[in-house]
Amino acid sequence: MTPNKSTAFRATLKQELPAWLQEGLVSDDTAQRLAARYELNKLSQESSGLLAAVIFTIGGLLLGGGALSFVAANWEEIPTFAKVVLMILTLLAFHGVGYWLWHHKNWSRLGHALVFTGSLVFGANIGLMAQIFHVSGAWYGGFGAWALGTLVMAYAARSWITGLLALVNSVIWVLGISHDHHSFWISILPLLLAAVYLPLAWQLRSRLLYAATFAGFTIALCSLAEQQYSSAKFILMTLVISGFLAWATGEFHRVKNIRPEFGNLLAGLGIVTLGVIAYIWSFHEWWRVDSWLNRATAERPTLQWLLPTGITALIGLALIVMMLQEIQALPTRRLLAIGITLASGILVVCALLGAIHRGDQMLLTLAVNLAALIIAAVALAIGVMDERRAAFWTGTVFIVVLILSRFLEYETSLLLKSAAFMICGVTMIAAGIGFEEHLRHKEAQL
Amino acid sequence: MNQRTLIFVAAVVVQLAILAGIPAKKIYTRTTGQEVVLKVVPVDPYDILKGYYVTLGYEISRPSDLLDASKLETGAVIYAVVEKQDDGLWTPVAIEQTLPQDLPTNRAALRGTWNGLRFTYGIEEFSIPESKREVIADDLNKNLNEARVDVKVDANGNAALLRLKIQDRIYE
Repeated sequence: MTPNKSTAFRATLKQELPAWLQEGLVSDDTAQRLAARYELNKLSQESSGLLAAVIFTIGGLLLGGGALSFVAANWEEIPTFAKVVLMILTLLAFHGVGYWLWHHKNWSRLGHALVFTGSLVFGANIGLMAQIFHVSGAWYGGFGAWALGTLVMAYAARSWITGLLALVNSVIWVLGISHDHHSFWISILPLLLAAVYLPLAWQLRSRLLYAATFAGFTIALCSLAEQQYSSAKFILMTLVISGFLAWATGEFHRVKNIRPEFGNLLAGLGIVTLGVIAYIWSFHEWWRVDSWLNRATAERPTLQWLLPTGITALIGLALIVMMLQEIQALPTRRLLAIGITLASGILVVCALLGAIHRGDQMLLTLAVNLAALIIAAVALAIGVMDERRAAFWTGTVFIVVLILSRFLEYETSLLLKSAAFMICGVTMIAAGIGFEEHLRHKEAQL
Repeated sequence: MNQRTLIFVAAVVVQLAILAGIPAKKIYTRTTGQEVVLKVVPVDPYDILKGYYVTLGYEISRPSDLLDASKLETGAVIYAVVEKQDDGLWTPVAIEQTLPQDLPTNRAALRGTWNGLRFTYGIEEFSIPESKREVIADDLNKNLNEARVDVKVDANGNAALLRLKIQDRIYE
């Protein structure tokens, strides 16, 4: 079992350990072993190091923001050649000094921040170059160039924050180019995005960059569906499939114990995505055939985006198959897998049927509500079975919100609405009390 | 120099190469091209990455009797042939669908693209210094008929903006 290395837990342990030692609750040897296991001696370094990192990063962002504002102000008085030389020297200075401090002077956080700032300056320089020489073109071209240069630097410098900057620029570029171009190669851009940034996140062991890549992939895929077909149902479908993949990947990390720390964030992101989508789409307005939400507005609709979407779905299902043995071994894992896969499947089928205007509108609405209830019920059940507060309360609150939304959505008498609110409130309180009593009873037995 | 440093230096070189690549075509056109003067018509947006710029239009931007644009697909490439007049302005005389060869010195061909509404030549965005934004916008509004741009056009029809002139005032 992986030790709990959260800062809060370690800080509390460091605070309590002397008292335990004094009261004879733990021996000297046990205390030392605990201190070593949880690296308590590194706590103060980490917190001051973290503070320094935050300060230096904010400073870097301010410097970079200043450089970008400088571009917007336009630098007129200096001759063109001198401007270009100064721009290049500024870029070299940030990268050079940053690298030197990072790897030769042991000022790693400041050095890293300066290298990151160098990539911000690179972006400013792109704008300046275009400005000086009156280079015109598609607005997203600049972001594409910025993304490319920053990505190369992220790999070279092994910088997660530079990678994050590159990812943001890449997503903006994909959004722009998918609006103007609908060729086959544009359709594979979201997959290319993932193929480029996931290895970087993996190499750098960055959970944030890993999860951000999934988020960026989702945005790019939805943008494709929107630009190439513009049916709200197809956008729903891509969102659900992306959320399912994020959850499946997160589960895979946890179940196979391959960097499980990556899994928690990703699985959470996936379930939240599915839950939010299911809730939004539980409203009947989305499913009326004559609804304004059903207009497909793309000039020349094409289904090329189905290729990356299909590949995403297949990868998600393949991950589930690869985890089958582990999933079947644990009841909560099994429940979660069945629930999430079923809910995702219902949402995808509803989206497809809704897009081609098949199926009764009311039936589709009910099916989506069922999918939302399944997600809520799974969270609630896992909370009870695993005694996890977060899952229990997420499930409970989600069920209550769903019920109340339906009461508010449809025309019902005030009396009925009032009764619904009160019943939900009483049930929530009773369930919460029951759950907390159960947990307290369990803790007392231990 | 160790491997890590070498890789970092290579990344910096890539960034410099990208920076050099952005104006490369314009620098080539400015260095080798023929200078022409075009009459302008403006519009005014804001681009966060480039600062302020004015979108300029020209006589050669609008579809005309010279070519039936309704038959063109979006993205179609054309070459607007302009001829020098006695007043120094270069005005459109023909629109071709292939690069004209052996043009006389008083004629030049600008490579353009049809975007469905107008022809664009890569010379539509003129960057404005923030300190002069109000001045230039005001000057353009008041003296639209007298606004001109100096442009360089190379042998392949690529064009590069040099300067905006309104009466005797020059903006670069």
